[in-house]
Amino acid sequence: MTLLETIDLVKSFGGLTAVNKVNFQVEPGRIVSIIGPNGAGKTTLFNTLTGIYRPDQGDIRFNGRSLAGLRPDRIAARGIARTFQNIRLFGGMTVIENILIGMHVHLSQSPLEALLRLPGFRREEREAEQRAMALMRTVGLVGVGNELAANLPYGAQRRLEIARALAAEPLLLLLDEPAAGMNPQETEEMTRLFRTIRDERGVTILLIEHDMRVVMNISERICVMDYGEKIAEGTPAEIRADARVIEAYLGRGAVAGQHEERWR
Amino acid sequence: MPPFAAVNIRELIRPIGQLLLFSLGSAGVLSALVLVLALILDQTAVGLHLHDRYNVSLATYTLVNLPQVVIDGLTIGFVYAAIALGYTMVYGVLEFINFAHSEIFAVGAFVGVELLIALDHTGLLRSASLGMAYAYLTLALLMGMAAAGALAVTVERVAYRPLRGAARLVPLISAIGVSFLLQDVIRLVEGLTTGQFNRIMPTFGNFDRRIMLGRLALGDTTVPLGISVKSIIVITAAVLMLAGLNYLVNATRMGKAIRAVAQDRATASLMGINVNRIISLTFLIGGLLGGAAGVLYALKFTRIDPFVGFFPGLKAFTAAVLGGIGNLTGALLGGIVLGMLETFAGSFLGVFTMGAAGSEYKDIFAFSILILVLVFRPQGLMGRHVGQKA
Amino acid sequence: MRNRFGNLLWARINTGILPYLLILAHIGLGSALVYSAPRSNLAFLVLISSLFSLYILEADRRFKLIAGAVLALLIIPVIGVRNIFYLEVIFQISVFAALALGLNIVVGFAGLLDLGYVAFYAVGAYLWAFFGSQQYFVLPFAPGTQPSDLPFLLPGDAFYLFLFLAIIVAAITGILLGSPVLRLRGDYLAIVTLGFGEVIRVLANNLDKPLNITNGPQGITPIQRPTMPDWAVDGFNTLFGPAIGHRVETADMYNVLFYVLALAVILIIILVTRHLDDSKIGRAWTAIREDETAAIAMGIPLVRMKLAAFAVGASFAGVMGVLLAASRTFISPESFSFMQSIGVLAMVILGGSGSIAGVILGAAVVTLLNLQVLQGVSLYLSELRQSDAVIPLINFAWKDLSNQLDPAKYQRLLFGLILILMMIFRPAGLIPARRRMRTLAAEPPEAE
Repeated sequence: MTLLETIDLVKSFGGLTAVNKVNFQVEPGRIVSIIGPNGAGKTTLFNTLTGIYRPDQGDIRFNGRSLAGLRPDRIAARGIARTFQNIRLFGGMTVIENILIGMHVHLSQSPLEALLRLPGFRREEREAEQRAMALMRTVGLVGVGNELAANLPYGAQRRLEIARALAAEPLLLLLDEPAAGMNPQETEEMTRLFRTIRDERGVTILLIEHDMRVVMNISERICVMDYGEKIAEGTPAEIRADARVIEAYLGRGAVAGQHEERWR
Repeated sequence: MPPFAAVNIRELIRPIGQLLLFSLGSAGVLSALVLVLALILDQTAVGLHLHDRYNVSLATYTLVNLPQVVIDGLTIGFVYAAIALGYTMVYGVLEFINFAHSEIFAVGAFVGVELLIALDHTGLLRSASLGMAYAYLTLALLMGMAAAGALAVTVERVAYRPLRGAARLVPLISAIGVSFLLQDVIRLVEGLTTGQFNRIMPTFGNFDRRIMLGRLALGDTTVPLGISVKSIIVITAAVLMLAGLNYLVNATRMGKAIRAVAQDRATASLMGINVNRIISLTFLIGGLLGGAAGVLYALKFTRIDPFVGFFPGLKAFTAAVLGGIGNLTGALLGGIVLGMLETFAGSFLGVFTMGAAGSEYKDIFAFSILILVLVFRPQGLMGRHVGQKA
Repeated sequence: MRNRFGNLLWARINTGILPYLLILAHIGLGSALVYSAPRSNLAFLVLISSLFSLYILEADRRFKLIAGAVLALLIIPVIGVRNIFYLEVIFQISVFAALALGLNIVVGFAGLLDLGYVAFYAVGAYLWAFFGSQQYFVLPFAPGTQPSDLPFLLPGDAFYLFLFLAIIVAAITGILLGSPVLRLRGDYLAIVTLGFGEVIRVLANNLDKPLNITNGPQGITPIQRPTMPDWAVDGFNTLFGPAIGHRVETADMYNVLFYVLALAVILIIILVTRHLDDSKIGRAWTAIREDETAAIAMGIPLVRMKLAAFAVGASFAGVMGVLLAASRTFISPESFSFMQSIGVLAMVILGGSGSIAGVILGAAVVTLLNLQVLQGVSLYLSELRQSDAVIPLINFAWKDLSNQLDPAKYQRLLFGLILILMMIFRPAGLIPARRRMRTLAAEPPEAE
């Protein structure tokens, strides 16, 4: 059974069709990448999947049910968590609190329990705190639980965003350019982290990434977008050999050289 | 652009056509609406109640009052439109509600009226010929505009510019502070000399005269139909200003710069546009319009106090939102529609509800419209929908 | 305490028993001053500010609680009864502190700028004003035409029930007003809530016809107070009589009663605020304030959480409205103007939005400025005006000074200045909010 499936998905803004009749599937337990030149519609696709944008046409099926028209918080509660291209942490809250926000949908405390500090509430908070600590270790954040998220260095903020998303115990994790702005060593660590997350937690991962080393190294399937359309899909080896993909990347004047270099 | 760019006639005429269209349209629609309502209610308790008291049918009553209501609605609508332009210009450029705009309007009103009062004391006003009376009024308008414009620029410089780039609510709270501060500053300055903080517009010229347009014969009664000179002045001045602003924004180089900054501040700055200067200019234009609206308001309603800006300001903001905030044409449309709606509600609500709810509810009426618009069409009547950025 | 010297000094002050001594000395000095000079505003300020040193100095929690309780339940009632004006000031501070704490939930926690907050205060006040007066029997009469011998609808002690009812009614009002507009962006929300505030005021002013519900601009009076049992008066007299020096009458006892009630309400509000802040709901509010898009992507239902903030904030104001109606025995639309909303906002902003201690300090400072400083200067000016004194240098006779220059009338100026200056120079307020630091174990046990 497929975990996520889009059927003829369309999203346009005014005259611009950012996502045009996209059909693709993600099998559970896989690591899948979406690649494509800037402006290909990748982030719009993410925003449509998570309900920030309403699809104009088509359907999104997740875990056997349709997501089209659902509010973002409902979609999150169904088991899709995400990170953002330009990190969006709750900067004024501590690291631990950021992770606790991720657990929002799983905390069963009622307002009354919180007001009266009933034993059930205390227990749940204590357990949540411990789970948050464990998540911090998983992503490699140590000893910064009480720091404000805004004060963390860039790389740590990326990790915290992943920890926050994992705290929601998602079935599917959407990562929007998680390795952007990282040096090769950090990128290497990130790649290892994604594998760990998939292997140990069984979380399916869908990521947008420009760094081809990451993409080719980690993905089991790759979906290529250009001008809002899916132009190719397959294993890394198939994608490397696909003529249309090469054209989409290399046929583009000034930026071509840069991409070519990353390709190797 | 060549120095002697041809005057773009189309841009001069277009807004006047739009204003005419909006005025006739809203007047027509609302008149039809109340007439239908009147005909429906005529045979019910409402109609009988009126008949018992004034021996006139509801339909006749409505018809008799309609022309005056339309003229009053238009007059106040144009004042709202002029204030709304100030909100909408600033919002278009900074995405920020200039809460203090209502006090800038009030300052314009006070400066204009104070000037006329001073002239009145010297006896100049009473002895003025008709031509001189209009010259004095123009002078008052210009002084009010200058003061309000200068104040708007100063407020931006002192209370908003240091906060640019802060969280969204920060400049808004500062603006609320400026609004409150200015109310009491006006009161302080005005109270200092006379112990009174409200002012009455001196009577001079022929502004209070009514020009008879004719008589309306309705059955056995004839109703005089007229328009006061004041209303004509307010409408004419507003139309001129609106046409001028439209020309400035849409057909000049300066206007192009303003539009560029409104589109994308960072890119405009890269293109060599001095963003700070354009923002100051935006506040200046908004202030000038607001100040003129203030003097016109004083001319129309005669009495002003330091808090005079509050309700017109709120209504004008409603008008801006109704038309689609950030959109100049929208502000005109919103102002006219709101002025009309409010005047219609104020005039007919009392009769239609048998006195249970009268004109005191016209402000609530305006707010209800604001809320309805925001809930069902937040982009306003003429605004384009802006997608939320992720 | 920015510089090194300041830090050093601060550390030195907070060592050993010094902070304890300082707190006791401050309370003692304040009490002695007010006791010996019951009319001095300065003495009163010294006493009131001892609460601040109690908060800021580092001392044992239990000691602070006991000292605070002694101050609030022993010293202030005694001193307040000797000069009822002080009790009145403290009551007003408490009322505004409660309002500011309520608005703090909406503005400080959830980041929703509500400019019509006093609407909920009005709902509470009019709730008790209607049911706790003769108004129910005045319904068919136009204002001023009702017969004078109408009965009361409910006994005065129903007041206590209405304290709880007001929570529910105000919360429902908050949800009703909030549900259509909480989807709006922040600045639109501000204007719409301002509109709501005005709508409630206009309704209060005009709902004297067709049915006379609010009695229009004249307002509703008399509103009942709960009964004051004799044993309470006697008990208070036996306990405090010697310290006060004269017998305390029932009328003064009401001031004490409302002061104690306001204090109790504030304590409950603080508790509620703290407990909510440190739970799933409070974290969701802060997340919404920080970044709505990220919050909703983490599964937080925006509108429902915003409604919750609106409802909680509204319920605080509702309770205080009931308290106000009973303590004043009179309510009119004037008490619920836009300026009041801005005043409460100024308190929150001045003290530090999101910070409990901050907004209480803000409420105290603004109320004191209003009631003591502005009015004090007004009084002084009017004395000068009645004298033959002349301003030196410019040779201006004080008595020629316009009475429009009465500082007590310039609250807007005060609120405006507070808002502008705080936004420019210290947007986080006098006591900025801080996140709770958790004691995190170095090696926590494996969670999964």
